[in-house]
Amino acid sequence: MSKTVKRSDEPIWWGLFSGGGVCFAVFVPAAVFFLALALPLGWIELSHAQAVKAFGSIFAVVFVGAVIALPAFHAAHRIRHGLYDLKCRSRSLIKWLAYGLAFAASVYAMGSWLISFLL
Amino acid sequence: MKTMEVRIQRYLPEQHSEPVVESYQVPFDDSTSVLDALNSIKEEQDSSLSYRWSCRMAICGSCGFMINGEPKLGCKVFLRDYAAAGTLLIEPLAHFPVERDLIVDLEQFMQHLDAIQPYIIKEQANGVSEMTPHKQTPAQMDKYQQFSDCINCGLCYAACPQFGLNPEFIGPGALALAHRYNLDSRDEGRAERMPLIGSEEGAWSCTFVGYCSEVCPQSVDPAAAVNQAKVLSAQDMVLQLFRRKK
Ligand code: SF4
Ligand code: FES
Repeated sequence: MSKTVKRSDEPIWWGLFSGGGVCFAVFVPAAVFFLALALPLGWIELSHAQAVKAFGSIFAVVFVGAVIALPAFHAAHRIRHGLYDLKCRSRSLIKWLAYGLAFAASVYAMGSWLISFLL
Repeated sequence: MKTMEVRIQRYLPEQHSEPVVESYQVPFDDSTSVLDALNSIKEEQDSSLSYRWSCRMAICGSCGFMINGEPKLGCKVFLRDYAAAGTLLIEPLAHFPVERDLIVDLEQFMQHLDAIQPYIIKEQANGVSEMTPHKQTPAQMDKYQQFSDCINCGLCYAACPQFGLNPEFIGPGALALAHRYNLDSRDEGRAERMPLIGSEEGAWSCTFVGYCSEVCPQSVDPAAAVNQAKVLSAQDMVLQLFRRKK
């Protein structure tokens, strides 16, 4: 065994993974139900004015975090460890790719919101 | 008496270039354990068969084998349990190098056990003499007692796919024991153990498969210990950040 033990950075990814897990269980199904079922089937009404108001509120930021960013990191973590279990060798490349994509998706979602909000 | 076909993975380095499976017919009744079957084969059929055992009562932890692919204590499972399956395959514990027949080299496991300092560490500088009794309430004992039942059998290592991929992983049994001492009110060694637990090869190599807890003959639940250790390690990381800022 090596003498110098380096602290793992895993707590960070594990924290994002756990947060994303909760979001996947709670907010993602709620969002899917709301946006993909309840609205198109007309079970609930959402006027254009209401939608614009919601888009400009703090809830939009929460939505991006809870339905896109954290679940993206959750998925990235699973993919990374899944590939490791499948004995993929380039571990640090996989790590960069997985979390990099999650980060890019989060920045893209947040950025698009910010741009449309400011315009 | 009924008989059953027992197949055993054999490997005698002086005879075999690679392991071979040999078959034996073993008479059994309701009280015949797998270890009894091995003893009967060794006495009646083939004295060259090698395996470890001692207590015959699931307490010494030396008779771990893969039995029909699952890590089990040979003295704790019975041939009658496999009567329906009709056949029994006994192999050495998975994920360890095989020395001879069913005997594996547990050195890696022993090194990990040693590394986590599985004993009470007490600072002597605080004026407590070594002769002072270490008092503990039943509630304090409850916190760690479940994790103190480990018999170092290594079944959890044979069950752990992460240990299979990377033998440097400290592994379930040793991490459970580390956690047992970290939770002990008499112990002051947590700070010494945390760096190893919080390293890549420590708790963080675990991906919460949970099979270790399923196979543990002592219901230690090492998976719970490892994942509680992850929480401790995460707390430790955050605390470290604040400490450095000061
Ligand atoms: S935790 Fe259980 S399975 Fe693992 S070595 Fe200890 S007793 Fe055996
Ligand atoms: S012989 Fe001791 S545990 Fe089986």
